[in-house]
Amino acid sequence: MKLVQFIILFSIFLVGGYDVSAQISPGELSKVHADLEGVSNCTKCHDVGNKVTREKCLDCHKEINLLIKAKEGFHASAEVNGKDCFVCHNDHHGRNFQIVKFDKTSFNHAKTGFELKGAHAREDCKACNCKSCHKPAFIKDPKLKKNTSTYLGLKQECLSCHDDFHKGKMAPNCNTCHGFDSFKNATGFDHNTTKFPLVGKHKNLDCKKCHKPEIVDGKTVQKFAGTEFTNCTSCHKDAHQNKFGQNCKQCHSEESFHAIKGTGNFDHDKTDFKLVGKHQLVACKLCHKTSLTAPIKFGKCTDCHADYHKKEFVKDGIAPDCNECHDNKGFAESSFTVEKHNFSKFKLEGAHLATPCTACHKKQENWTFRKIGSICVDCHKNEHKGFIQEKYYQKENCTECHIVNDWRTIKFDHSKTKFKIEGVHAQQTCAACHYAKDKAGQRIQKFAELIVDCSGCHNNSHAGQFDVKGKTDCTKCHGFEDWKKSTFDHNSSRFKLEGAHLTVSCEKCHKQEANANANGKFILYKNNKILCSNCHQ
Amino acid sequence: MTKVVHQLIRSSYVAVVLMTLVLLGYFGFSFYNLPIEERYFHSDYAIFKPSGLLGHGLGIIGTLLILIGVFSYMARKRFHIFSRIGVLKYWLEFHIFLCSLGPVLILYHTSFKFGGIVSVSFWSLVAVVASGIIGRFIYLQIPRSIEGRELSWLEVQNMRNELNNELKTKFNVDISEIKTGKSFEVVSELRTLKLSASDFRKVKQLIVRQRLLTRRMARLDMMQNIFKYWHVAHLPFALIMLIVMIIHVAVVLTFGYKWIF
Repeated sequence: MKLVQFIILFSIFLVGGYDVSAQISPGELSKVHADLEGVSNCTKCHDVGNKVTREKCLDCHKEINLLIKAKEGFHASAEVNGKDCFVCHNDHHGRNFQIVKFDKTSFNHAKTGFELKGAHAREDCKACNCKSCHKPAFIKDPKLKKNTSTYLGLKQECLSCHDDFHKGKMAPNCNTCHGFDSFKNATGFDHNTTKFPLVGKHKNLDCKKCHKPEIVDGKTVQKFAGTEFTNCTSCHKDAHQNKFGQNCKQCHSEESFHAIKGTGNFDHDKTDFKLVGKHQLVACKLCHKTSLTAPIKFGKCTDCHADYHKKEFVKDGIAPDCNECHDNKGFAESSFTVEKHNFSKFKLEGAHLATPCTACHKKQENWTFRKIGSICVDCHKNEHKGFIQEKYYQKENCTECHIVNDWRTIKFDHSKTKFKIEGVHAQQTCAACHYAKDKAGQRIQKFAELIVDCSGCHNNSHAGQFDVKGKTDCTKCHGFEDWKKSTFDHNSSRFKLEGAHLTVSCEKCHKQEANANANGKFILYKNNKILCSNCHQ
Repeated sequence: MTKVVHQLIRSSYVAVVLMTLVLLGYFGFSFYNLPIEERYFHSDYAIFKPSGLLGHGLGIIGTLLILIGVFSYMARKRFHIFSRIGVLKYWLEFHIFLCSLGPVLILYHTSFKFGGIVSVSFWSLVAVVASGIIGRFIYLQIPRSIEGRELSWLEVQNMRNELNNELKTKFNVDISEIKTGKSFEVVSELRTLKLSASDFRKVKQLIVRQRLLTRRMARLDMMQNIFKYWHVAHLPFALIMLIVMIIHVAVVLTFGYKWIF
């Protein structure tokens, strides 16, 4: 009987006692405590006669103990500190028991001493969860690092989780500049506390504009410390290529590159367009209409000036620039020289050289240069119109008679007419024959239908003595060379001069007589005194 | 104790055990139905957990009930000084009652967590209870005196003879003429004897008793043997249960779990 009992007892112990050491346990320990299974380990957690004490837990969980002592983390919060650990972290509920179980969605992270603010509390980030931060990569402690499920080991220093964006070029206390809402907007940073306060447009600039990203260790880093700012050109491109020196503020302000604060020190001559002549007197705005800094064309005068000549000079679609004729001294004067004029169809010669331009080019209110004609009558009044027959100056071509050097010098070949100019006629002015004053004292000209005979012009001072059929042929006695020198041969008359008569002056015989038909006197040559007694006593 | 009182007590025993089983099951269902890993987060964990106000209490009270049930019955059975207190049959029923109610409480104390050394105690408990139920069946198979003493083969044979005589003399029924077969066949055969209604009932009862006795007599030897061996199972399991329970209680007390004390 006893043997049978012993066998049964023994067999039950064998079946039930497959791991006697663990059999006192009221249930399997959770995974994290699995190594504490076994009867010899009970007192590692359980205090004899005193359940499970906080001290026993913290003896093992030194990391928590350290945090509590340092008054850091959730376990040092008023809600947790002083409580028995098993109130939250119970065990013996099976291997898969969640010994650390808390509602991640409702957990008040502020109790850890690190309130989740701004981007740390983003609700729109679906990919974000506790493990985004609580991961081994952010844990320094090598022991904690191995525990992939731990929420311990994180430091509050930004750089313990975040990459040093500035690669050590800035102080590690990120939150002096950056807030929790956005890293990009360094809201805590007041640029005005730096040596370069942000003024004007600099206030609204994207930081990257000045603090340019650069590659450090294969990563893009924005450079903040050590950014050059002594000169504007440290950041800004010198649009003037150093023509005006490096002190941009002389003219420009931070409000706008385009808003010029003063031109007092501005030397326009350093630009590609030196101000010469009248340009020096012109108000800036006349040329720089929109903004002083807006680039304007200045290659051609017409880039600014209106074409006064209304495209008169456009040839083959190309307009010559004003400076071909004008200079900076003003438009009233022209630099267009006679030489240049002589390249035109109408060369300036003679009196035209002394003629003011306006005489031809400003006949009316405006200057005109084209289609003003190139023949004399286009400018000059044809005085002789209706007086000189067209056959002598076809198409009113004055140059048939006149030359450009001197109007009064006539080059007309009088031999073309019926009256050939000979002798002293050649020494006479044209006007002597062709102009006369009328009764009213007005000069009147006459070219056509002039009487070719001498009497046409000359008075017959012989009172008709020599008329033959009513006409006197002067040339019988007078030549063209000298009126006084008579070609008359006394010997052809009825009274030949011989002897002493040869030396007697003409007056001795041909005495002045009173003209019966007219006023004045005349010398009577046909006195019919051929007898000696007619003269001699 | 009248038969009615006895029946009432027995019924109340069954009712108390079943109600305890049902009520605890009903109120603790949401807790006990949870996987072990999740129970800690149940709102009534502190009440239903084995070391909780109710859970621990169930363990302590259940254990006490079992201890009382076991040792009182043992004492009544084994120690001469108690042999005259009450009828052994009632003590057995009380033993069965306490050792049914106790395990029910222990079952809920375990919160259906059967692990560790204490589970040896629990499974022993289960074995003891199961063997008790079987034992109860075997026990009935062995004819006993009113005090519950086992009757000898001769005594049983006399009992049967008395029944046979009673049938013969009182009702003129020769049991040897009654076909041995199914009960309904016996009943239909009795009807042919044309007995009065009360006689018919009495005869039927006597025949049933006679047949039962005859069957038991046929199995008496075997049952007496089985019962001997049954003790081998029932008692050792009870011992193991108690020993491990003591270890369990010792460990629990060592670590400071003292229920309400």
